[in-house]
Amino acid sequence: MNDSRLCGNTDVLMSYLYGDGDEQERLDFGAHLERCERCAAEIAGLQAVRRDMAAWSPPETVLGFRVVRAPDPARSRWAWLRPAAMPAWAQLAAASLVIGIAVGVSGLEVRYGGDGFVVRTGWSRPAPQAAAVAPAGAVRAAASADGAAPWRPELESLREQLRGEWRQAAPAAPGPAGVGRTMSDAELLARVRQIVEASERRTDREMALRLTQVVRDVETQRRADMTRVADSFGVLEGRTGAAVAQQRELMNYLVRVSQRQQ
Amino acid sequence: MSDTDEELVARSIAGDTDSFNQLILRWERPIYALAYRQTGREEDARDIVQDAFLRAFRALPGFKGEAKFSSWLYRITLNLCRDFLRRTRRAPFLPAPEGMDVTELAPAGAAREETVEDVVSRKDLSRHVARAMGRLPEEQRSAILLKEYHGLTFQEIAELQGVPLSTVKTRLYQGLTVLRRELDRRGSGPARAEGRRP
Repeated sequence: MNDSRLCGNTDVLMSYLYGDGDEQERLDFGAHLERCERCAAEIAGLQAVRRDMAAWSPPETVLGFRVVRAPDPARSRWAWLRPAAMPAWAQLAAASLVIGIAVGVSGLEVRYGGDGFVVRTGWSRPAPQAAAVAPAGAVRAAASADGAAPWRPELESLREQLRGEWRQAAPAAPGPAGVGRTMSDAELLARVRQIVEASERRTDREMALRLTQVVRDVETQRRADMTRVADSFGVLEGRTGAAVAQQRELMNYLVRVSQRQQ
Repeated sequence: MSDTDEELVARSIAGDTDSFNQLILRWERPIYALAYRQTGREEDARDIVQDAFLRAFRALPGFKGEAKFSSWLYRITLNLCRDFLRRTRRAPFLPAPEGMDVTELAPAGAAREETVEDVVSRKDLSRHVARAMGRLPEEQRSAILLKEYHGLTFQEIAELQGVPLSTVKTRLYQGLTVLRRELDRRGSGPARAEGRRP
């Protein structure tokens, strides 16, 4: 390659400066530098800039970043119950369903009449529908026998009827429909409890995570501060040591001079 | 014998978090140095390093290995630095206040080997270099940082910046020329530097 193509060619100049590029081209440029003062001065100037740039270093710091895998919440058996995984409308619907079923199971009755406002559950009163299955003739006969309390014979007949039914039903297993309804209610109640427990566990976990992050940040900052303080002390020690050494040299010099004069 | 980046990347993609932590340990210092020289602030640089590794970890399944892992990481870091500087709308390097403690930039261990004058001189030169670098356009500064401090080849920088190889060399030459002029003007450049050296 002749000198006219090399002289002032920034492409080749950069390759030569960094030793990165076509080797023959760099060798040619090296030979050119011996003949061309302008290119030699350019290279010398840029090499000096590179040396100056070496003085620029970032301050020491504490890094130590780590990736820590948190337990995957999706793998949890009850992950689908998390509020974040369930839309608001679904949560509302689930809550309504639970309340409705609870009301149904308890047989809640709310009544407002002449005897005031009454709220009672099915567990505290006899089943009213049982009266409907009582024989009409028996009820009428009892009513005529005791005019003062017309409901008493009705009650007696109902009691007898229930006893008969219980006696018949006692050896047999409970009906599948009843069992199904009871199990379903129990499951739903258990699920509600699990929702609440999952929410509490999540809150606890988030609190612990935040606390850990704060502690880690404080620790990192403390270490960085300590490193900086240690560096400063080290430099100050060096500076003090240099000053002491200079004074010692000066004293030695004075002693030598005074000895020579004597 | 330590694992290569490629081996650690492969294991990280397979779900081995420890392998990725080894990559962090290997590359956090260079990435921090790059971020610091781009932003000029230690705290910002540390935030960017954390963000860069987090992004890399999340994007790791999409890393095809067409470029070196380090080049990919440098690219993520430079993008974050660019976003940061745009967001904060400031020059990358804040001028150091007058009367600042000269010991701040002295690296650990260097103090016992250097005299106070050396430390002051180096600190002064370092500040001038930082200021001069801050005046460069972002693409020239990135090219110089990657070449000068991280030893990437022209070809790697060209791929990282998405420009032809000749453009990288032009950016380097223009950037170095500006730096030379700035350092000469402050009397901290080559002329003074040559007199300082044995």
